This record gives sequence, structure tokens and C-alpha cells, in this order.
Amino acid sequence: MSTPSFVGRRAVILHRPEESIDRLARQLGLLGLAVERQWSPLAADDSCDIVLVDADQGWAGLLPWEPGAARLPVVALLGSEAPGRIAWAIEQGAGAIIAKPVVPAAVYPALVLAVHAFEERRAARDQIAGLTARLRLRGLVLKAVEAIAVARQIDEEAAYRQLREVAMRRRMTLEQAAAALLARQLALPEAG
Amino acid sequence: MVTPLRIGILYSTQGPYGAMGRDCHDGAALAIEHLAAAGIAVEPVYADPGGEGPRYVTLARELLRERGCRHIVGTILSAGRKDVIPLVEKHDGLLWYVCPYEGFEANESVIYTGACPNQHLLPLFEYLIPRHGGRAFLLGANYVWGWEMNRLARELLLAGGGEVVGERFLPIDETEIERLVAEIEAQRPSFILNNLIGPSSYAFLAAMSRLAARDPAFRPEVCPVVSCDLTECELGEIEPGVAVGQLAAACYFDSLDTAENRAFKADIAARWGRERRASTFFAAAHAAVDLCARAIVAAGTDEPGAVRQALLGRPHATVQGTIRIDPRTNHAALPFHLGRINAEGGFDIVASRPAIAADPYLTGLRDGRARPHLRVVS
Repeated sequence: MSTPSFVGRRAVILHRPEESIDRLARQLGLLGLAVERQWSPLAADDSCDIVLVDADQGWAGLLPWEPGAARLPVVALLGSEAPGRIAWAIEQGAGAIIAKPVVPAAVYPALVLAVHAFEERRAARDQIAGLTARLRLRGLVLKAVEAIAVARQIDEEAAYRQLREVAMRRRMTLEQAAAALLARQLALPEAG
Repeated sequence: MVTPLRIGILYSTQGPYGAMGRDCHDGAALAIEHLAAAGIAVEPVYADPGGEGPRYVTLARELLRERGCRHIVGTILSAGRKDVIPLVEKHDGLLWYVCPYEGFEANESVIYTGACPNQHLLPLFEYLIPRHGGRAFLLGANYVWGWEMNRLARELLLAGGGEVVGERFLPIDETEIERLVAEIEAQRPSFILNNLIGPSSYAFLAAMSRLAARDPAFRPEVCPVVSCDLTECELGEIEPGVAVGQLAAACYFDSLDTAENRAFKADIAARWGRERRASTFFAAAHAAVDLCARAIVAAGTDEPGAVRQALLGRPHATVQGTIRIDPRTNHAALPFHLGRINAEGGFDIVASRPAIAADPYLTGLRDGRARPHLRVVS
């Protein structure tokens, strides 16, 4: 892992003015971030890179996304141990918690963790979306294998191998090849 | 050791929760008189944030740094406690917190003499649900006490086969409650859990009394409004008569019939007049100052480690009964009483339980050892 850097990134702190939040802002500045502070809902079109939000006082609608659909890395600022507050932080997409009062040593690790958690979730979401699409097309693969087996008078295992070969040759996924074959946009592979 | 020993008393006697602060303040003052009579000289250093959140930090810092107080008895709302804790940690002091609260905390630098949910909400539900049913309407002040109490109430109700028929949060000073009462009227709950505090709570109780006058299904004996924080000190702020019959849980009531409490009340009457009723806030602040001073004397120093050692795990006689502070959690084991508001501005005690050990993280709920019996019976 290369050294995580936040130079040139923009952070928004959603918190009432408070001494320990001054320390947080200062520390973020030292890490190279441009910092803005507000205690009002974050605009849906705000272009910041990371949000640090008061999870003790935060309410639904403070962040411009539905529970579980964070668009940015989120760090929760939390003094309370109340389970309801922790649940709120999780819903808002917090990938890390900084306990209040903020100690400077907690800031950089929390940023790294929150960005990492956010990217990991995004990658997982993209991968799940791809797999879901392929799963949906699995039926086509079965039908294509069956069609090849009938046309060539071969068993299904051999038919599957042929389909896979076509897909590889055309640089398609197995599902795409099957769909194309069934739509007769692709000829059956030559025998032998 | 510093003599006389100094204790910081940090309460807001004005603002939306000023009534509780005044009782805590006076309970502490009476304890100081009692200690003086017992030959223990304590110099109280009073600080009053006036209900302004940020003032707690400023004043607590002053007490610790400039006024020579290593021990602070104070704060009412959880936000105030959370703000003061880092300061007592930093200055190697102790905070003595006396109010009922929502639990999920056990800080080494805090001694908790107020009840947490397994000492107020759980026994309250165990009494209430079998008698009134499990269709609850939940009301909360719009901050962590209300949020957490309602969240926990919902969890307990659902686990016991009950139901939450409605839930609302109001700011402390919100008194526009007509829509809320209309919703309660339509939902017809079997009881209402009132975690409101201050003016919104008073306005709500008055509105419920008007509703009960229109519809007998909302009389307190049928559909009670129950609370874990309504005490004697606030009854005077409520329109006379409107709260009669409603229920509240506390670890102390002014009407407690014990020799200790009769003597306690005689002292209160002598100092503040016969009208003055002590609340659980009054009694708990009195106990905290008393325990704090005696532990400092026993330890021979006000150093927190030594004070904790002198305090924890031993029985202490208080007006709430003999209490013991658990060395694991720093929380007091406390009795449970359920009071019904009477026409004389006090509570009649309708149910009691001996001291319950505090379980601030509700570990007993998870491991089944102390699973509450909340099954709805019809």
C-alpha cells in the first residue's frame, strides 16, 4: 500500500462550533486538506471528498443520501456510546469513528480507514452488480449449451467447452456469447 | 489533604431543566450541612451554567483548575456529562453523576448514583405490560435521552410480543402538542411512555388530562402516561391536578415511609418549609455529596484512585436506603419504586423492589440471566 495522502482534498465538518472541533480542523489542515465547517445539511451537489459528521447530534437528512447509500467517505465524530447513535453513524456510511473530544492522533488513521472502507464498499458493489448481471444471463448459457449439443450431437460438457471457446475467441463473456448465439448473431462453432 | 475539603457543585438552576438543577443544588447544600453537623467540614464551590450547554465546560474547567475542586457533583443532561468527563479525566478528578440516564457508559472517572435502564425502564415495563397491555405510544425529548429510551423501549416491546403504535420526538420547550394528542387518540395505545422533559412534558400532561375528560379510555387508570424522569420537583410546574393518577419510576420518592426519610424530610421542612418535597434528584445529590466527602475522609486524600478504593463495594447508608457502588461499573445498585401522582402534589408508591445492581450495557438482556418478563398477557 502506498502512503495514503489527503493533500488537496476537501473535507467538510458537520458539527457545532466547539474547541475540540478547532483541533480537528487544524489537524486536517496539517494533513493538507482544505476544511469547511457547517452545522446544516450538506448540499447534494457539494463537491467535497470526505465528510466528518457529529454522530451525537446528527439527524436524518443531515447528509444528502439514503441510509446505506453514502456517496462519499464518512467519518463519525462520536462522544456517546448509545447504540442508537452508533446505528445512525453506520446508516450514514461511516467507515471510521473519531471519539470526542478529538485527539489529533486519531485523525489521520480515521481518514485512511474511512476512505479505504468507502473504496472497498464501492468495489464490492460494482462486483456484485457485474455478478448479478451474469447470474441473470445464466439461463441463456444453459439454453445455448443445449442448442449446441443438439446441433452437434455431442454431450453437454463438450457443448459447453465449444461455447467457451467461441467466447474466448471473440473476447466476450460466456453469457454474451450465449446470447449472441441464440440470437443467431453468431454462428455455431465449426465441428472438430 | 486540603482542609476543608472542596467539592464543586455544577448545576443549572435556570432554564428548561432548572427544576431538576435546583433540587440537585439544594440536596447537595443539605448534605454539606449534615456533614458539618457530623464534624466533616466541606467547602462547596457552586457553579451554575444557567442551562447553557457550552458553560458546563468553562465552569468545570474553572472548578478543576482554579477553584481547587477535584470532585464535581453535577450535570443533568447527558450532553453536559459527556462534555465534563474529558476535563475530569485530564485533571485527574471524579465526576459524581446523580441523574437517571440512558445507560451505555461506565467511565472510570465517573461515579454514577442515578439509575440506568435496567433499574428504571425494565422494572417499569415488567410492572406495566402485564397489567395494561403492550401497545405503547413512545414520546421522547429530541436528544439522546429520548432517542435511546424510545429505542430500548421498542426493542423490549417487540421482544415481548408488544407493539409500538406511534413514536414522536419533541424539543424540550415545544408546547404545541395538539397534533400529537390527536394521533394518540386515534391509535388508542395501552399506555404512553413519556420521555419528554420540561415544558413539553407539562403541556403534554395537561393535554392528556383534557383528552381523558372527553374520552374515559384515556383516564390514567386505563391508559397511563408513564415516565422514568418525572419527579416531585416538576409537579409544581404542571397545571394543578392534570397529572394526577399518572405513573413514574424512581429510586426515591418523598413519600417513602422509612425512619431515615422522615428525619430527612424534617430537616428539609426546617430549612425550606413544609411545602418543599424532595425528589430523587434531591436525594441522589444529597447522597453523592455525602458519599464523596466521607470517601475522601476515609481515604485521607482526594486523589480519585484512593477515593474509589474507599468508596467502592461497601454499603453506604443513604436516604434512598443502603446503597453499594459496584467496583466493576462505578454504578450504584438502587431500589426501584413506582409512584402514582396524587392530588397533593406528591407520589403514592404503588410498587417497589429492593436494590437492583446496575447493568449499564444491558449484558443481562443478552445472556438471558436477567431477561425481563414482558410477555403480554390478555
